[in-house]
Amino acid sequence: MSSVTAYTVPTVTPDPASGEELEPKVLVQNLNFYYGDNRALKDINVSLFNGKVTAFIGPSGCGKSTLLRVLNRMYDLYPNQRAAGQVTLDGEDILSAAQDLNLLRAKVGMVFQKPTPFPMTIYENIAFGIRLYEKLPKSELDGRVQHALQRAALWDEVKDKLGQNGLSLSGGQQQRLCIARTVAVQPEVILLDEPCSALDPISTAKIEELIDELADDYTLVIVTHNMQQAARVSDFTAFMYLGELVEFGETSNIFTTPSDRRTQDYITGRFG
Amino acid sequence: MVDVALQGGTVQVAVQMDRAKVLQRLRLGDAAFRQVTRAAAIAVLVILGGIIVSLLLGAWPALRTFGIGFLYEESWNPVTEKFGAIAPIYGTVVTSLIAMLIAVPVGLFIALFLTELCPMWLRRPIGIAIELLAGIPSIIYGIWGLFVFAPFLQQYVQPFLIDMFGPIPILSDLFAGPPYGIGILTAGLILAIMVLPFITSISRDVFEAVPPVLKEAAYGLGCTTWEVARFVVLPYARVGVIGGVMLGLGRALGETMAVTFVIGNAHRISGSIMAPGTTISATIANEFTEAVGDLYTSALVALGLILFVITFIVLALARLMLMRLNARIGT
Repeated sequence: MSSVTAYTVPTVTPDPASGEELEPKVLVQNLNFYYGDNRALKDINVSLFNGKVTAFIGPSGCGKSTLLRVLNRMYDLYPNQRAAGQVTLDGEDILSAAQDLNLLRAKVGMVFQKPTPFPMTIYENIAFGIRLYEKLPKSELDGRVQHALQRAALWDEVKDKLGQNGLSLSGGQQQRLCIARTVAVQPEVILLDEPCSALDPISTAKIEELIDELADDYTLVIVTHNMQQAARVSDFTAFMYLGELVEFGETSNIFTTPSDRRTQDYITGRFG
Repeated sequence: MVDVALQGGTVQVAVQMDRAKVLQRLRLGDAAFRQVTRAAAIAVLVILGGIIVSLLLGAWPALRTFGIGFLYEESWNPVTEKFGAIAPIYGTVVTSLIAMLIAVPVGLFIALFLTELCPMWLRRPIGIAIELLAGIPSIIYGIWGLFVFAPFLQQYVQPFLIDMFGPIPILSDLFAGPPYGIGILTAGLILAIMVLPFITSISRDVFEAVPPVLKEAAYGLGCTTWEVARFVVLPYARVGVIGGVMLGLGRALGETMAVTFVIGNAHRISGSIMAPGTTISATIANEFTEAVGDLYTSALVALGLILFVITFIVLALARLMLMRLNARIGT
């Protein structure tokens, strides 16, 4: 075959050392994405493995965030955006018209670049999402809120001011609040779209720690501009360039022995 | 070389002098700007104070004669010069209440539809229609209300209301016949149409200012469009929405021409909202030309003062409401 298909259909070899079985949670096959007539994603093929952290890196405008927005069909909110191809979550095609979007988004949570606390109290920010799906008695709801905030390592900082507005927190705290809110809905996959790019180094470190912890229970996908961050937090890394998935593999391999010239140029800082 | 260096030096000095002059001019301009803006702001206070003082002076004879009873007496008799303001106060408050009960939810729904759901090609036509509705002079609402809307209500809507609510204890009094066509209800409906564009266009503007990413975050949790609108868009835009509602309410309370045409101008309070009534502004507009005698004129000015006070109270209530909303979301 031509060299083009060689990197548009990346292959993944499971880690021979650990010998663990890798099970794809999300399988993306021949995905193309269009903003109007503009093709933003070109024949993307990638697997997001269950219980693993996958990082998407690449220069601005390469389609990382677009890919993320396909995974919870956020693009559906806007006219003139469409995806073609196949994306399955646990074997179920999520791009089909029959897919219940609310249900999908409950399973695939998302954290955005800028913190997005809702205009309500800290407590309500968490309880709001839970209430969408479950009618719980107050005490149980309190417990769930506390648990979610603890998962996001925020509980100790906010437990005395749950009645204050979410916006009264610092940027890093707001972002952890948003992660807690996502976790509270009990998703299976969490998408993180440059979750630290608006934060200071200390907050960034806290979020990264959090990602590490969450990785035990969720399938995480993180888009980042920060290659050190990708190297630190992810198990797998995908390098994207101009709408194509150039290379995908175990993070250690991508960063030490990239097989594609462009990947090497990018991670060594020659462009991007 | 020396020559050149010297020349360079003089040029620099000259530039600095020029700069100083320019800066001096800018400082003068800035001072003038500050004074002009301050004068404009103070003018508002002066005008407001002047209006209050002249209203108080004009209303004084009536207030002295009737005392506090002016506020709750119903009789309005120019012949015996017995004046009480409760009927127009009641009419003003009730017509505005009807208008807001209809226009606030409808206006918010239109604005939410326009910003959250409407396909692009339909946004402009609806938006322009709303703005045109705001541009129609009130006299046109008045004659349309009298010649088209009131007969329509009389023939079709009011008989239906009377029949429907007849068997229900309290509502049967509220919607008691006969169907005149004109009356409190008709005035309230006309007012609703008139204030609708204010509420809609202001709400639409503030809804559009809600950051898309905030809405995406809510959709990302699996919210439906309604849930996003109710729990994210509306609370985020609360200040602007209440501002729009207050602007609409202000117009409803003070609207004169259209109301005068359709309210029936009867100085009495009826249990039924279909009965004729009057409002403060309609009474003033109708009777000022025929007000003979100082007491009669003064009573009308006193009505104006009361309208002024009602507007103040409404604005204060809006503040209070905003504070309570803020407290609920923890700011």
